[in-house]
Amino acid sequence: MEFVGSMLIQIGIFTILATSFNLIIGYGGLMSIAHPIFFALGAYGSALITQATGLPVPLGILFGMTLATLASVALALPSLRVSGDYLVIASIGFQLGLLQIIKNSDWSGGPGGLTNIPPMIATVGPAAIWSYVAIVGIAALASILVVRWLVSGDYGRAITAMRDDEEAFKGLGHDAVSLKLVLFATGSGLAGFAGGLYGHYFLFVTPEQFEILYSAAMLTMVVVGGIRTVWGPALGAVLLQFMPQAINFLKLPSSVTGPLQGILFTGLVLVFLFLRPHGLLGHAPGVRAVVQEDDPTEAPAK
Amino acid sequence: MSEVIRTQALCKRFGGVVVADGIDLTLIGGQVVGLIGPNGAGKTSLFNLISGAIKADSGSILLNGAAISNLPMHHRARLGVSRSWQHNRLFPSLTVLDNLLLAQRPRQGGSLLGANPRSDAHEKSSTRERAMAQLEKVRMTAAAHRLPTDLSYGKQKLVSLARALMNDGDCLLLDEPMAGVEGPAYDSIKTVVRDEAASGRAICVVEHNISFIKDLCDQAVFMFAGRIIQTGTIDEMVRSPELTELYFGA
Repeated sequence: MEFVGSMLIQIGIFTILATSFNLIIGYGGLMSIAHPIFFALGAYGSALITQATGLPVPLGILFGMTLATLASVALALPSLRVSGDYLVIASIGFQLGLLQIIKNSDWSGGPGGLTNIPPMIATVGPAAIWSYVAIVGIAALASILVVRWLVSGDYGRAITAMRDDEEAFKGLGHDAVSLKLVLFATGSGLAGFAGGLYGHYFLFVTPEQFEILYSAAMLTMVVVGGIRTVWGPALGAVLLQFMPQAINFLKLPSSVTGPLQGILFTGLVLVFLFLRPHGLLGHAPGVRAVVQEDDPTEAPAK
Repeated sequence: MSEVIRTQALCKRFGGVVVADGIDLTLIGGQVVGLIGPNGAGKTSLFNLISGAIKADSGSILLNGAAISNLPMHHRARLGVSRSWQHNRLFPSLTVLDNLLLAQRPRQGGSLLGANPRSDAHEKSSTRERAMAQLEKVRMTAAAHRLPTDLSYGKQKLVSLARALMNDGDCLLLDEPMAGVEGPAYDSIKTVVRDEAASGRAICVVEHNISFIKDLCDQAVFMFAGRIIQTGTIDEMVRSPELTELYFGA
């Protein structure tokens, strides 16, 4: 049962990650691959502040979340003012550069990682795990609801318009840079939140857990579940967390399971992009169109 | 009527291509100015400069006497510079009505997101009524809940005009509003533009339909190679062999 609890915790954490990544790349249309580093900033930030000051873990997680948010603003502000394309380039540099700093610093534990991270629940055993399952579950649900609130109503309409045509959007009096910044910072802050939960559950973090390739895993969750859907990334996180476990049941040598997992992730993205680009829970574009009879007073089509 | 827009010595070049070469243009409230000239004359570029879609290399733009040259595009729109686009640029993922709701001029100082704040029910209802009224003007209410991509190009033009009307500022720039529009809609658009001018707005129209310019505009401005060649009535321009040659080629 502890295995199931641990799986659920990982699903919850990856649900937050995929949901926040969906906010950035799906709803915002902002191409960034620095999501793992914001995950790392949340994990390291929370772990270090709670170790150094004895701060309660929830406040430490809040600190890590704030750190990730501020770092995302520092990355996005100069990039988004110019063009979205610069964000891709800047995000690669940001991800690789910061991870190198983490790998080569004493305060972060270097390549060996950080150990002795204070747990959120001091006791051990099944009760503690299930308590953590509940905490992560509530956190994941809250993250989904935050994203749903943000992408609905007036803001949702503005986000869609900005993604469709940024210049026309600005021409209507809307500040596209501020809107993109809010989306990017919120998404990155949520990744930091997930990082804090991750660190205080596993109680150790290493730089390898935040490599750039994890962007691909998050992207797979978003694409498979349904890009620009509220619940799709959660479904993607469930499926993508179960898949490696299913591969493990095949009892293949470890030299095979690693590459096989990578091939399956990449293959899934390709299959979905070709056959069902809107994912499992998404709708094909245009289905919202309400077919009505032509108004005779309208001008004839040319 | 007062001066709404004044451009002074406005210049813009893209590498070796000059799209604005010392443009001095004045738009007066209540008047409709027709901007004509061959393709590539710089008409749309002038709209882009005034609305802030591109930034001038030199020169200045005044809106009601205040300099707006250094303001970003969204800020100019909030101050009342409204425009339509040559190729419509409606948001394809949003319904026609949503396209219009989004075009309600955001309040000065707006929300953190720069989008319309989560307005109360009364405000939402009045914005919706305004949007439907603009659609009514161009006879497109039946298309309110359809996606723009389901409409013909001409109908998209009408929606595009209605969207531009949602911004009730002093300056209205219309880029080829008649392209693809025929029949009863032609007269509707003329009536709409006349009414908007009568309400005191300064309107500038880029249009290749000379009879539309003739019917509607108080003044015509002929552009060629980024420069204003002549200002006057459309009749004077049509009679000028030099301008006819510039427009149609030798």
